[in-house]
Amino acid sequence: MTLPLFFFYIFSAICIASALMVIASRNPVHSVLFLILAFVNAAGIFMLAGAEFLALILIVVYVGAVAVLFLFVVMMLDVDFAELGKGMLQYMPIAIVVGIIFGLELLMVAGSWFITPEVAGGSVLPIDAGVENTRALGQVIYTRYVYLFEAAGIVLLVAMIGAIVLTLRHKPGVRRQDIATQVGRRPKDAVEVVKVESGKGI
Amino acid sequence: MEFIATAADYLLGIPFLGLGTQIGFVYKALLLLVTLLLFVAYVLLADRKIWAAVQIRKGPNVVGLFGLFQSFADLMKFVFKEPLIPAGADKTVFLLAPLVTVLLALSAWAVVPIAEGWALADINVGILYIFAISSLGVYGVIMGGWASNSKYPFLGALRSAAQMVSYEVSIGFVIITVLLCVGSLNLTHIVQAQQEMGLAHWLGIPWASFLNWFWLPLFPMFVVFFISALAETNRPPFDLPEAESELVAGFMVEYGSTPYMMFMLGEYVAIVLMCALTTILFMGGWLPPLDIPPLNWVPGAVWFILKVCLVFFMFAMVKAFVPRYRYDQLMRLGWKVFLPISIVMIFVVAFVLQLTGWGWHGGMA
Amino acid sequence: MTSDLTDIFALAPAYPELALVIGAVLLLMIGVFQKNNHFMTINGLAIGLMGAVLVLLLFAPSDGVLFNGGFVQDEFSRFMKVLVLIGSIGALLVSVSAAEEHALNKFEYPVLVLLATLGMMMMISANDLISLYVALELQSLSLYVVAALKRDSARATEAGLKYFVLGALSSGMLLYGASMVYGFTGQTELGAITEAIALGEPSIGLIFGLVFLLAGLAFKISAVPFHMWTPDVYEGAPTPVTAFFAAAPKVAAMALFVRLTYGTFAPISTDWQQIVIFISILSMVLAAFAAIGQNNVKRLIAYSSIGHVGFALVGLSAGSQAGVQGVAIYMAVYLAMTIGLFACILSLKSDKGYIEQISDMKGLAQSRPFIAVIIAVMMFSLIGLPPLAGFFAKWQVFLAAVEARLYWLAVIGVLASAVSAFYYLRIVRTMYFDEPENNFAAAPMELTVVMGLAGLFVITYVFTFGGPIARMAEIAAASLH
Repeated sequence: MTLPLFFFYIFSAICIASALMVIASRNPVHSVLFLILAFVNAAGIFMLAGAEFLALILIVVYVGAVAVLFLFVVMMLDVDFAELGKGMLQYMPIAIVVGIIFGLELLMVAGSWFITPEVAGGSVLPIDAGVENTRALGQVIYTRYVYLFEAAGIVLLVAMIGAIVLTLRHKPGVRRQDIATQVGRRPKDAVEVVKVESGKGI
Repeated sequence: MEFIATAADYLLGIPFLGLGTQIGFVYKALLLLVTLLLFVAYVLLADRKIWAAVQIRKGPNVVGLFGLFQSFADLMKFVFKEPLIPAGADKTVFLLAPLVTVLLALSAWAVVPIAEGWALADINVGILYIFAISSLGVYGVIMGGWASNSKYPFLGALRSAAQMVSYEVSIGFVIITVLLCVGSLNLTHIVQAQQEMGLAHWLGIPWASFLNWFWLPLFPMFVVFFISALAETNRPPFDLPEAESELVAGFMVEYGSTPYMMFMLGEYVAIVLMCALTTILFMGGWLPPLDIPPLNWVPGAVWFILKVCLVFFMFAMVKAFVPRYRYDQLMRLGWKVFLPISIVMIFVVAFVLQLTGWGWHGGMA
Repeated sequence: MTSDLTDIFALAPAYPELALVIGAVLLLMIGVFQKNNHFMTINGLAIGLMGAVLVLLLFAPSDGVLFNGGFVQDEFSRFMKVLVLIGSIGALLVSVSAAEEHALNKFEYPVLVLLATLGMMMMISANDLISLYVALELQSLSLYVVAALKRDSARATEAGLKYFVLGALSSGMLLYGASMVYGFTGQTELGAITEAIALGEPSIGLIFGLVFLLAGLAFKISAVPFHMWTPDVYEGAPTPVTAFFAAAPKVAAMALFVRLTYGTFAPISTDWQQIVIFISILSMVLAAFAAIGQNNVKRLIAYSSIGHVGFALVGLSAGSQAGVQGVAIYMAVYLAMTIGLFACILSLKSDKGYIEQISDMKGLAQSRPFIAVIIAVMMFSLIGLPPLAGFFAKWQVFLAAVEARLYWLAVIGVLASAVSAFYYLRIVRTMYFDEPENNFAAAPMELTVVMGLAGLFVITYVFTFGGPIARMAEIAAASLH
């Protein structure tokens, strides 16, 4: 056993175990924390596979941003999971059927891998071994896949427009901070110096 | 067997056992850890001293000469106190939170090059690694705040999460502008790029190497990065997660003794990390400010530490004399000021590089 | 790795899309930086922009494959893109007068419609599994938002959410299918997939991938058994949005469906033909019977559109060039009928507001004879009575089915048409033979124009438009191989 293999088993074991705990733990916050653990270990596996850029982007995007917001929501919602779980059993047969179908298909995919390995191995973009993978990614994203890259950008733009248009409400009568006015205010606008004769008051 | 032998060679190596082929990883890591912790102990003291000096006080001055052992006294005090865990707390998460904070803060140091070739792991995606690890730092705060099962900590945690996620965005963009100039994600390359190109070379005075560093051409980004680093590490004036006037101590209200100390330690390690990152990205890392004798006889590590100290001095001064931001002001600054500035700067930098053909090409494979 | 883009002129086949995306972003900026709400300006500009793109497509055609095979522009895609643009322009045009009532008078609405149209055009031009998926997501995401745009209405929000959840499910199926196809052929580009399939015996995994791909697309064209969302979304969404949903997206998804089946999976046509025949029969029959019980006009149109998708698929199931030509003609006619019908519905404003129930249309012929005549014409055309456009569209697809010896499919189609006549005629009866209950306001100018144009198209189809459309559709169908 080599060192990378050893780490591969550690990462995948923790990953699978924490994935299980995501659905098994009773406390939703713990579930999210286990989800994060699973993400981190998946990033570790990416790292071992030599995809260091993907691994770190997975951490930055999913763990550092998405899961934080997710954790937020779960912490603030008072989710009663006992209540949610009540209707679960009646959907169980469907879930089992779907699960079996997907499982069989996965088996088929894996099976064909053993039977005709040359088909599955034929990658659209062979990787040049000498190039570090951040550079390799950059070289195809902005040339060969520029169309998809830009299209994905437009999809995100639509998501942004959607999020804003569906949630932003301009409340009338809200006092907002105007930095320019604050900075532009002079002492004479705010303070009046009055000479007070002693014993008289204003 | 072969596995154990390789692992032992890699981890332990030459010293002591004499069976390896290289200096063991463990020793390097230990050396870095001990140095770092000692450094942090004095950084903590310096922080308090500077703050005191601004307020015309003496600061800690009892333990040891000029209070030099104050941090160690504090350490003793925290360690020997009884850890208290609130009855309603989620015990596991409550204790995990400070551990996470410390571990993450320390692990980011693995890729920091203190001098040429002195990084524990000189990986190709070093800057991305630091960025990823520091984006995880928020979990310590959220977990601590939530697990305390109390209102102030939870509010502090919510504030902190929003704050750190917001400022991470502008930090990311700032890093991108530097990367555009360098063309590599490797931290060593970033420093080398500042040695081999820049304003001083262009002016024909290559010995004035401080002009080469990125702080000058990317000055707006330098400022944005410095301020975002303050926000990212929850330093004043952005210490809203623990604002004592509103939230008592924020997410740390329920913590005491060793767990509290670990939070504190993690926070300061992260602060020093941000200082180191500022040094590497904008202040030429281990390079001497003037490339002339006797300045370039001084080892690079010394320059590095001096620069880190300088940046930390700025951190400490900001803490001493800038009043705390209000929460909406903080968010406004992050999203409405820094984000547009840094996005515009990315365009500007990319345009300039494209038009002039500047940029470092040493890292090209 | 190099790109095939040498200069800006190399991008000529994608000019329409580029114009749309740049225009959409510009309009968005104008909208954001204006202090007041300039819905009308932005809407007008959006219509103008799409009109310009339409002109560009028609009079400065430029064909080719771009972006290393990710994007293809040929006669087929141009035909379908013209239809999509007409559908979107029509939808924006009919929403002008009703926008305020339906809370659509935000500048984001035309911008989102533009972006959705862009997504549809990219779908039609998709020549790669990845670009297919990204384009589909662009289109769907815009549509989800548009469906829920009337955010204070519980029904619209429900419609948006329902559409989103089911749409995400269908995207998942499509992706699963796409990944299986990639796994079994090792290719993502459609042409390369065809070659890979033609090489050997199709594996069962590939068939599975095909089934999942078609299931995902069947959702987008709302063919049975993936039609469940249609009546609810059509009913819940604001009527102008429903007009948009019923027209352009269906054309785009149908174009993609045709390109994938008739184009890419041509070597295993017997396999997909079974699937298409199956969903075609189900759609026609279910829609014919389920629509009978509907009282809401929009729900009725939803079932009617499910049925029409079924009819169009009859042409595809022939698997011949004539069949694909039939599908293209059918979509053109369907588009005209849908836009015309929605223009009529949006001009039915009584004292109580916009009407949605069939019973509200009682005696319409007496107060607004013009609208009633147009609705009646549309209904007769939807049934497929000669000499209206709907008849010729159906004639074409049934003919293709008969030529392919699918006699019983044609028979079922004719029977389903006969059943559907029942509910279409019910509306005509309500308008002409019942006593009036409501006073209807006069139709706004632009709606009258749209109604008039649609009516003209449907009535004079056989003399005027029919010939050119059939010819263009024939060229389009021929370009797929």
